[in-house]
Amino acid sequence: MRAVAWTLAGAAALGWPLVAPRYFVFLATLVAVNAIVAIGLNLLSGYTNQLSFGHAGFLAIGAYAAAILTLRAPALPVPLTLLAAGLLTALVGLALGIPCLRLDGLYLAMATLAFGFVVTEAITNLDWLTRGNDGLRVPLARLGPWVLDTDRSRYYLALAVAAAMVLAALNVVATRTGRAFLAIRGSEVAAQASGINAAAYKTIAFVLSAFYTGVAGGLFAFAVGFLSPDAFDVFLSVDFLVMIILGGLGSVWGGVAGAAVVTVLNDSLAGFQTYRPLIFGAIMIACMLFAPGGLAAMTRRQS
Amino acid sequence: MSGPALIHVVVSGLATGCIYALVALSLVIVYNATRTVNFAQGEMLMVSAFVAWSAQHTAGLPLLAAVACGVAAGGLLAFLVERAIVRRALSATHWDVLIITLGLSLALRAAAGIVWTNEELPFPALFSNRPVAIGPVRVAPVSLGVIGASLILMLALVALFRATRFGRAMRAVAQNQTAARLMGISVERVYSGAWVLAAVVGGVAGVLIAPVTFLSTKMGLIAINGFTAAVLGGFGSLPGAVAGGMLLGVIENLAPLYLPTGIRYSVPFLVMIGILVARPRGLFGSLERRKV
Repeated sequence: MRAVAWTLAGAAALGWPLVAPRYFVFLATLVAVNAIVAIGLNLLSGYTNQLSFGHAGFLAIGAYAAAILTLRAPALPVPLTLLAAGLLTALVGLALGIPCLRLDGLYLAMATLAFGFVVTEAITNLDWLTRGNDGLRVPLARLGPWVLDTDRSRYYLALAVAAAMVLAALNVVATRTGRAFLAIRGSEVAAQASGINAAAYKTIAFVLSAFYTGVAGGLFAFAVGFLSPDAFDVFLSVDFLVMIILGGLGSVWGGVAGAAVVTVLNDSLAGFQTYRPLIFGAIMIACMLFAPGGLAAMTRRQS
Repeated sequence: MSGPALIHVVVSGLATGCIYALVALSLVIVYNATRTVNFAQGEMLMVSAFVAWSAQHTAGLPLLAAVACGVAAGGLLAFLVERAIVRRALSATHWDVLIITLGLSLALRAAAGIVWTNEELPFPALFSNRPVAIGPVRVAPVSLGVIGASLILMLALVALFRATRFGRAMRAVAQNQTAARLMGISVERVYSGAWVLAAVVGGVAGVLIAPVTFLSTKMGLIAINGFTAAVLGGFGSLPGAVAGGMLLGVIENLAPLYLPTGIRYSVPFLVMIGILVARPRGLFGSLERRKV
């Protein structure tokens, strides 16, 4: 039964671009990108209970890193570009994570919020590198002889990367590291008393989360083809939080589901410009009143 | 830069800081009672300012009466929201309430755009903007007025928290909810009282800032500065919120004078990260003992 469901889901994901119109292929690419961010944010906020309001900043770093790297080295195969974007973002995550070790709760939220602002300011002002507010046109991604110049090809790229990232996350949360994250969420003091190095694991969570978001940033850059700093504002960070809370904190698939719901909802309401936030806000409130704990908790209660 | 000019900048920084402090206070009042942050506080103060504008323009009330109307409407809105939405989420975690108030902030901003307008509206000034000379120093009456009004409100809050039954009940709930309940305090009443009080304080901040920044649906974003101020001072501390607000206002006003354009807007945030790294619980926050 499970195997059948997985096969069907896999076939649907692979067959989607063959049946769906071009725009919906692009939308599915965005879902994959946001799902990767949501998984990364969930590792930090859901599993380790470190609230971040700055993930749009990580996404921006990944996106600009991938775009600038492709401009300078056009022949570089896209997996390497994404890896480089992820690693650079992870490095920034390390640099932010270590001083933030002493912070928790709202104080960490504040520091990450500030980080997000600093990143967009930096992108605006480093215009010799990023073209600032004029925006940066992202060159096409290349994979050896192929140029990823269609929405379909970019969708498959995002799908493959997202699948790999989901598998990796499922493995991480099932191992010693994942259990350490959950123990820290339960109680940092108790975790330390049981021999878990809380500082080390919190830093690992930060770095992993930044890596995920950086890779997603690279995919985002290739998917949309144009970057400007105002796309990475604090509202985007809030959207990511909404994804993981609606989907379910501390659940990899919850993050994926939340990302799909928020992305599709955001897009399908785009036609109603003035009413969109009203409807979106009402749906957020209703979800939390009727399904506290998010989508993941809902399926758990039923099973 | 000359001394008097510097004083002018610092005074207008303090005035901005007072507004931030009031917003921070309203966030902290709700947080202390309910342990959740109301992310819709900024949008609620925006509604107060819009209602005040309508009361003056449409209903033709004198400015002060219109302002009182706006602040009262904010309190009423808070009461309804707490009763109708937030309290129903009884089994909800802090995370769920966070999403509820975020949803509320989106919905209120959109609703205000539909009911009123998405354009910027000029808001009638309570105080004059033309600088007057006090000795060698020139200051704008609007700065002094904002500072004065804020200080009066803060003193009133001190009196409320120290001298009234309700204020003592709020402090008791902030310290220990279970113990407060055992002493016969209605925690639910404190919840709704805290929401209303916070909305009133925020509403005053709204009508004070609206003449300076114009009235618009985006003015709720000031909650981010209020949040920053509250965190700087140590979330939960009322004097900390005031100090954090003043500090933030002055830094914001001074930074552009001394720093190159490239980094001037980043500096308040970098200062903030620096302060938090040095004092992880803000300036006035004490390190809680964490028990297992």
